[in-house]
Amino acid sequence: MFSRNHRSRVTVARGSALEMEFKRGRFRLSLFSDPPEDTELQRKLDHEIRMREGACKLLAACSQREQALEATKSLLVCNSRILSYMGELQRRKEAQVLGKTGRRPSDSGPPAERSPCHGRVCISDLRIPLMWKDTEYFKNKGDLHRWAVFLLLQLGEHIQDTEMILVDRTLTDISFQSNVLFTEAGPDFELRLELYGACVEEEGALTGAPKRLATKLSSSLGRSSGRRVRASLDSAGGSGSSPILLPTPAVSGPRYHLLAHTTLTLAAVQDGFRTHDLTLASHEENPAWLPLYGSVCCRLAAQPLCMTQPTASGTLRVQQAVEMQNWVRVHGVLKGTNLFCYRRPEDADTGEEPLLTIAINKETRVRAGELDQAPGRPFTLSISNQYGDDEVTHTLQTESREALQSWMEALWQLFFDMSQWKQCCDEIMKIETPAPRKPPQALAKQGSLYHEMAIEPLDDIAAVTDILTQREGARLETPPPWLAMFTDQPALPHPCSAASVAPAPAWTQPLPWGRPRTFSLDAVPPDHSPRARSVAPLPPQRSPRTRDLCSKGQPRTWLQSPV
Amino acid sequence: MSYIPGQPVTAVVQRVEIHKLRQGENLILGFSIGGGIDQDPSQNPFSEDKTDKVNGWDMTMVTHDQARKRLTKRSEEVVRLLVTRQSLQKAVQQSMLS
Repeated sequence: MFSRNHRSRVTVARGSALEMEFKRGRFRLSLFSDPPEDTELQRKLDHEIRMREGACKLLAACSQREQALEATKSLLVCNSRILSYMGELQRRKEAQVLGKTGRRPSDSGPPAERSPCHGRVCISDLRIPLMWKDTEYFKNKGDLHRWAVFLLLQLGEHIQDTEMILVDRTLTDISFQSNVLFTEAGPDFELRLELYGACVEEEGALTGAPKRLATKLSSSLGRSSGRRVRASLDSAGGSGSSPILLPTPAVSGPRYHLLAHTTLTLAAVQDGFRTHDLTLASHEENPAWLPLYGSVCCRLAAQPLCMTQPTASGTLRVQQAVEMQNWVRVHGVLKGTNLFCYRRPEDADTGEEPLLTIAINKETRVRAGELDQAPGRPFTLSISNQYGDDEVTHTLQTESREALQSWMEALWQLFFDMSQWKQCCDEIMKIETPAPRKPPQALAKQGSLYHEMAIEPLDDIAAVTDILTQREGARLETPPPWLAMFTDQPALPHPCSAASVAPAPAWTQPLPWGRPRTFSLDAVPPDHSPRARSVAPLPPQRSPRTRDLCSKGQPRTWLQSPV
Repeated sequence: MSYIPGQPVTAVVQRVEIHKLRQGENLILGFSIGGGIDQDPSQNPFSEDKTDKVNGWDMTMVTHDQARKRLTKRSEEVVRLLVTRQSLQKAVQQSMLS
């Protein structure tokens, strides 16, 4: 029968050279094989390092404050994860070296201590109330002081973040939409919650001064470059560098400060909303300080695996009626707080109703027994529950002594898990799989002309010139190939073309581009050219294959249509 | 260095967004288009703008009819064009000299 808690062991072939080496004490199997969990962690670490490099590059390329804030947040999360994974790898290596001396993998025997099953922990509907003082409404009138905040959540070595939210004094709470799910929590988990904040506007009390100076400068600079300076200042500034000069990309971006933190444990888990205290970590002098009320509301749910996954299953026989002779064969599945007895093994998957359901909870008592009256299958399992004044006992026959042992073991493990996970085992708490979060607003690709091209109707080509100067540099001496699209005549020496080929003034050689040839379903012009005569005419059913340069005839029309 | 129709080309372009006007039951743009890959370019009286893209649809290799159809879709109220102009190159050249 299947039982969850039996771990499979690494096997070494008998009589192999490897086994001989082990026997000689040369190697330890644990050192020899890299546990798969470590390679997984290493892979995650490498991934975060790459992400961090990407975030640094993105931050350096950002020109807008909001982009820089998102990039800095990514960087912060990457850094935290890197530290956490490295710490975990270190811990595991140490445990490997220290903990396993002398113990051979072939040593059998049940583990001395039972360990509880893991579970999924999900925190959602996070809300942090704010407490604006009256003065906040009257301070800096006109300019809405804004903050960018997000939460960093850590459980074990796993770190996750919420989305970044912009906060101003019109909000009474910071509400995060994210659901954050941790899949490998033990009942002794510690979920650390950290709130980080940064100013959206440039930090420092001098925000006013450079703006005025820059405005003065901008009017004395050229029209378009001046406009650029003003535009960059208006759009929440550059990335932390001095705004007086034309913005230069700086690697240092906005700074996030830790505003508050708290740690949640199993005691905080509840299938509903609860309020927890926050430890405030910053004070009013901090530029990113926010008036937090001091608490956080959330729904913290936990689903231990014993509640959602079957812990044991196998063949059993139950008594249909009081008479001992009538034993019915069933497929038993121990899951959560119930032992389901299905008529057939497939019923468990198809959702059929079980023949019998026996409740298993903290009050249930279980006994192993042997029946003399039932020869051949004497091993029984008795499960007793108290319902009010009545005690109801179910007696089940197991296939063999080993099967009985396995069932007892599974039940003991379940009781242990229940004692550890406590309120989480009363009923299954619903956890919604978090929807994949939308990536932050598409960041304009740097280097793209389109990012800069906001040409107003009154702007003239001078605006384009400026932008192009920045982008193209002084590379272009020869006319670019695309200008060939604008020549009046095709440059291909064409025996049939009426006018002589006159290449555009800038070029001295004829361009060998062919006249575009497509096959249109529209009316085909008559074929007059001597050149085309040598090519066999194509069948008329052919649909326009615009990638083919098929010669059919030269179009003689220039159609115009109103749109 | 040449322009070969059918081959990819890099050009300096300008993005134009036009909201269609309502004329009776129809949505119109208010101008005319000419040309198409199946038309004779030597008869082009203008050589001002070339349209590369309409609302994401590629226009570099379309017939006149296809181009017209893509611009006059009933369901689209806004048309976003990528347009290239010869004068854009002049702008680049001017900026090189200055």
